[in-house]
Amino acid sequence: MTRADWEKSYARTESALRSAGVEKTADLPTLEEVRVRFLGRKSELTELLKSLKDLSIEDKRDLGPKAQGLKASFEAALEARKSVLEESGDAAALAADAIDLSLPAIRPPKGRLHPLTTTLHEIARIFQLMGYSWAEGPFVEDEKHNFSALNIPDDHPARDSHDTFYLQGLPYLLRTHTSTVQIRTMETQRPPLRVVCPGRVFRHEQIDATHSAVFHQVEGLVVDENIGLADLKGHLQTFLQKLLGASTKTRFRPSYFPFTEPSTEVDVKCFFCPGTGCPSCKHTGWIEILGAGVVNPVVFKAIGYDEKKWSGFAFGIGVERVAMLLHGVRDLRDFYTNDIRFLKQFDESLT
Amino acid sequence: MKVSLNWLREHLPLELSAAELSTHLLRLGFEVAGHQRLGATFTGVVVGKVVTKEKHPNADKLSVCVVDDGATKRTVVCGAPNVDAGQTVAYARPGAVLPGNFKIEGRKLRGVESQGMICSRSELGLPKDVDGIWIMGEGPALGTDVGSLLGPADDVLEVEITSNRPDCLSHRGLARELAADFHKELKPLGGGMVESRKVSLPVTVEDSEACPFYGARLIEDVKVGDSPAWLKSKLEAIGLRPINSVVDITNYVLHDIGQPLHAFDADKLKGGKIIVRRSEAGEKLLALDHKTYDLPEGLLVIADDEKPVALAGVMGGEETAVTTSTKRVLLEGAYFNPAEARKSSQKTRLRSDSSYRFERGSDPAAPREAADRAAALILQIAGGSAAMPSEAASVRLEGTKIHSSVAKLNQILGADFSDDKVLASLKPIAKELTGTAADFGFLPPSWRRDLATANDLAEEVGRFLGYDNIPYRMAPMSPKTARLTPVEAESRRVRSRLAALGLSEAYNYDLLSEKSLAACRLSADGQPRAANPLSEDWAVLRQSLLPGLLKNAAHNLSRGADAARFFEVGKAYAIRGTDVDETWRVAGILLGPVLDARWQAARAPRASFYDGKAIVEDLLEKAGPVVWAKLSESKTPSDPLFHPANTLRATINGAPVATVGWLHPRVARAFDLEREGAIVFDADLEWLAGREDAVSRFAEFSSLPVSRRDLALVLDKKSAYRDVETVIKKCRLEALQDVLLFDVYEGKGVPEGKVSLAIRLTFGLADRTLTDTEVSAAVETVVAALAKQLGASLRS
Repeated sequence: MTRADWEKSYARTESALRSAGVEKTADLPTLEEVRVRFLGRKSELTELLKSLKDLSIEDKRDLGPKAQGLKASFEAALEARKSVLEESGDAAALAADAIDLSLPAIRPPKGRLHPLTTTLHEIARIFQLMGYSWAEGPFVEDEKHNFSALNIPDDHPARDSHDTFYLQGLPYLLRTHTSTVQIRTMETQRPPLRVVCPGRVFRHEQIDATHSAVFHQVEGLVVDENIGLADLKGHLQTFLQKLLGASTKTRFRPSYFPFTEPSTEVDVKCFFCPGTGCPSCKHTGWIEILGAGVVNPVVFKAIGYDEKKWSGFAFGIGVERVAMLLHGVRDLRDFYTNDIRFLKQFDESLT
Repeated sequence: MKVSLNWLREHLPLELSAAELSTHLLRLGFEVAGHQRLGATFTGVVVGKVVTKEKHPNADKLSVCVVDDGATKRTVVCGAPNVDAGQTVAYARPGAVLPGNFKIEGRKLRGVESQGMICSRSELGLPKDVDGIWIMGEGPALGTDVGSLLGPADDVLEVEITSNRPDCLSHRGLARELAADFHKELKPLGGGMVESRKVSLPVTVEDSEACPFYGARLIEDVKVGDSPAWLKSKLEAIGLRPINSVVDITNYVLHDIGQPLHAFDADKLKGGKIIVRRSEAGEKLLALDHKTYDLPEGLLVIADDEKPVALAGVMGGEETAVTTSTKRVLLEGAYFNPAEARKSSQKTRLRSDSSYRFERGSDPAAPREAADRAAALILQIAGGSAAMPSEAASVRLEGTKIHSSVAKLNQILGADFSDDKVLASLKPIAKELTGTAADFGFLPPSWRRDLATANDLAEEVGRFLGYDNIPYRMAPMSPKTARLTPVEAESRRVRSRLAALGLSEAYNYDLLSEKSLAACRLSADGQPRAANPLSEDWAVLRQSLLPGLLKNAAHNLSRGADAARFFEVGKAYAIRGTDVDETWRVAGILLGPVLDARWQAARAPRASFYDGKAIVEDLLEKAGPVVWAKLSESKTPSDPLFHPANTLRATINGAPVATVGWLHPRVARAFDLEREGAIVFDADLEWLAGREDAVSRFAEFSSLPVSRRDLALVLDKKSAYRDVETVIKKCRLEALQDVLLFDVYEGKGVPEGKVSLAIRLTFGLADRTLTDTEVSAAVETVVAALAKQLGASLRS
């Protein structure tokens, strides 16, 4: 074969390829037919490539790449068309798959932790970061731990504010505050101490929107050398700012508890109004949030701690009160009715 | 305690508004819970009469009235819906000034000239009674200044006095506290000793411990009548009802200087004497509140020759009360031991302003001075002549000196107040302050029995120098690691696990009614009970958390929920001997569809026993070797709340740790849950808390391929699946990794009385791949064992 013959057959093949209309092929089977026609073993293009071997070395070097280029561009065109045809085929099949995506989601049941649990955990978590361990004591208590060891003797008027459930025929009562755990902890541990004692307490009170015969407190106790009211202020301010936000303003005002001296009640600036007064702060601009004080040395003395060496502070926080403030709950009874319409609004579930 | 600012100013000149005073009191530790303004805070408002009332021509909600103020008749536009012709009203004339400096002028309202305003009570700064204008009722003449009808202007504060500060339970007491704060002097107290040569009735005190001071002064020839206006208005300002001059004077002195006094009609005291003694069995007292009290034995009473005439420090008797016909008054001024007064008040459930003060601790030095003051007022107001008081006194007046130092007080406060400041703040409240900053002696006055230790003084210094001036300090962190208790750590694991399994946490009360226990087939016997239950709903301490959870489920279903999945972590109680056992438990209830898929409701499975079983298995994971038994076959104590056949009891090393099953049908019926198929579980949280709390360790697993073989077994319906598992395990095949039950079938193709179980066996070794022959041999072993021991055949 001469170079001229080869070139003639090249031109013929090229034109045939062009007129084959790869880009317009209607479907994948037709495209396959085209491919076989031009790339099959006996096809024009294959023959053209085969016939290169009959040419001279120079011609081969010259025309070989030309032929390969023709094959490559044809293959590329085939590939391109193939992917176009596949895409459109997919689209049709995918369209046929369509389901109604707007139907409601199917949910596994969603469990929630009770808002009092999450609130209590949050309070305890902050104190834990400040080095406080968790301590517990019994709910059924005796007079000593609930009252007398806390410097509330039998005839003390402070007992008036502790309406107490007593047990029938047994020398016990249901603890009226978690301060009992202060005594329980000090009975079994030596200072230095840093504990929070969260838990359930009982008051003999008719239940209404703002009173519950069962509620929860978090008691705190720090005993160390050289602890003063300033440490109490530092710890509680840090706690309140972590709980309620860094800009929380606190107010420490004097108060009275038999087991602390000096004592204080701590208010935070109302976060429902700009300090101008609203129902949440009883129109005072401040919300009372906890009671605290320097441990009265008589408590140490009664427990057998050396009150000259050790000093400390204690505090008590009402968990319901904090939860009501954080979540805007207005009726205490909602916490104990366990209506799912109430519970499901709190999604701090797995913190 | 109600505090009149006008009254307070009689003891201490104060140029503070009520709001400023409230702030000061709060800083000193006295909360102000209320503030009431008395008298007029307006001018130019007179009594008027609405002569006519017409609808406003241009406004639906306005009326045009003609008001007669006695001098002229003027047109007034009024917006209140309750205005009507014929009413007597408070009429603000043009030129009047209402609270908030609101000036009233004539002006046009929707085209009608309004000359002044008809006022509501709240517009006049008075407590609101009805919506709309104040309808005054007939009485005052037209044109009378309304302000003059309201009495003098005053502010009355409701001050909360903590129980350690009985010395502040009077106007003078509070003034004394403020004087110390402001470093001012109290005004001297007027009135003095009334001298006489006459002698009062004899006084005998049988228990000088309980009554360390008793003084009685006889005043004869009194004319008891109404109190003068100044006295009445003082008492009324703080909410007291005037009774008669003598009684009012004793009340006045109580609220003025804090000493409770009592006046007897001396002619009604049998035998003409006073005996302070213990009550005897069967004694009664008809008290001033018109009720008769049975006095328990041993209360301190004031008695005449025959019987008690007063419960000491609490209340006097009606039969010896001073009335307008009283001629001779015996005036009591005493100091009673606080514990005695409290005991009397508690035992009789009788409280009074007197008992409130005595039980907190009155000033033991005050009775004589207070009685003198009252006697002088009685002579001044009711006339008569006073005898010298009879007294029985053993009272110890001097307090105990506190020795401390400024450094110590600063240490308690964590503050750095200067010596001068600290001593200057203590000086006004001390009876005697001696020594130096490094070593001082503080002698408290007789009215401050609450001051006994350095900590007490530190609080005083903190209050007067301001808690705000004490720094914020962080005590250094203890090197100890903050830890949870095992029970708390466990309850957190359990809570988050159960929430992840779709159960919501409930909080129920620990006290239940006997009725709700009975509904759960539980008995109240052996349960601790409240001696003083709030109601029958709050009588028994619970032995199970389930009654509460059943109530929660029923509550939610009755309010439209179709599923209920709840758990609770809480305590259960039982009496053991003379003690009460309380144990942390976790319990739960499952009921209704396990998926929230209403539109696929037909396909969504409902909670079954096996869902409950999964939950309990999760709870018991890593707790130890669990042995399951049917509740009816378990050797552990039964639980009548559960269905005996369809309940499993889990034990670990013989200890019952958990129960899961159907609700007993009768319990289900009691809670109206019988159609719901409720599943309940209950576990001992404290037992679980005892398990190893180890961090999970990773174990290598084989990456070699495994072989699976499926078997369809047909066996007797009475055999339990557990038997199949047991038989397979007993084959001790090294290569057997897992047995999976993937179908349970009865019906067509399976003979009557038989059940088909489809199980998948997974074989594999860690170090090499098994050959087909090995696997087949293993399967044959299994099939043979099942055939031999359970009569199982392969389903063809």
